[in-house]
Amino acid sequence: MRFEEKIPGGKLVAIEVLRRTKRTNDSAGDSESSGSGLLVKITGDFFLHPEDSLEDIERTLGKLPTDASEADVTAVLVALLSKSGATLIGVSACDLARIFKKATLKLS
Amino acid sequence: MTVWRVIPYSENDAFTNMAIDEAISGSVGSGTELPTIRFYGWKPDAVSIGYFQSLQREVDMARCAELGVDIVRRRTGGGAVYHDSLGEITYSVIGREELFPNDILASYRLICGWIVDSLALLGIRSEFKPINDIVVSAGSGGNLGQGKKISGNAQTRRGGVLLQHGTILYSVDVDRMFSILRVSDEKIKDKMIATVKERVTSITQQRLVSREETYEALFEGFTHGKDFRLGDLSNHERKRALELVETRYLSREWNEMR
Repeated sequence: MRFEEKIPGGKLVAIEVLRRTKRTNDSAGDSESSGSGLLVKITGDFFLHPEDSLEDIERTLGKLPTDASEADVTAVLVALLSKSGATLIGVSACDLARIFKKATLKLS
Repeated sequence: MTVWRVIPYSENDAFTNMAIDEAISGSVGSGTELPTIRFYGWKPDAVSIGYFQSLQREVDMARCAELGVDIVRRRTGGGAVYHDSLGEITYSVIGREELFPNDILASYRLICGWIVDSLALLGIRSEFKPINDIVVSAGSGGNLGQGKKISGNAQTRRGGVLLQHGTILYSVDVDRMFSILRVSDEKIKDKMIATVKERVTSITQQRLVSREETYEALFEGFTHGKDFRLGDLSNHERKRALELVETRYLSREWNEMR
């Protein structure tokens, strides 16, 4: 399921989520996953420095409990960005959390 | 004072242009070359997409194939850009991060300020619009084009090196551009405009100047006040760029990454 949003004054962000299955794990090259959690893909015309932080963000989101609140998701992302020293431009951790929750709601 | 290398305008295909930027970033990072400003064009026409964009969602690939338009993913974020061979001039600024403000928006403002200065030499008033655009200002040719985007820019910082590149729209074929780029309704809905075409302008819509005059203004605007040397790619950079074209920029794995 996919949800996209143009952040006012910012950039366009889309988050796509899929339930992990053997098929999605295989296609993602993830042979070690237990099959639980979500496969998360974030796309858009935002900026993130360093760029390879996005995969960490996607993996982190994919491992969150399905009943995590938007505030919980925001806190996790803020902590991740702080720990890694990554900077989002055109989208915030709050925005990502909101869009992620909307995408997962569509999934259920 | 920092000495810059300035590589004059050249034209290359999309894959080579991106490979050259990365090759220069490597040599600047290793200290074997001076911080570099280069100007270039895209031949044939091309689309470049931002590092985080979905290729299939951003570009009408069938239309590109039909028109002979190349498609390449950039190392920088930002949006999809249509590079018209005759319709724009692209620049790259590549230097160690210490040469620029640490704050990313401040560094955009600095480098985009060189474009604003260049446009002023052509009699076009413009201003930096965060995050990464330059728009035509009020008072420039009356209200024609006021607020419309005339330059887009994108930056990455890797290995201690800042690379910012961007386009200055000289003469844009808006219909062709938007037949190739897919633009989400979400992207424009907050701007209360009927069509994204209303957001974009070009130099020839503001002033009757030649593309050569535009390049001369950009050269002056980017080099003003700087100590610089005219230069070219080193043999190592040329070789590295050729490698990168094959190993990265032509590869489906890279371009279809997302």
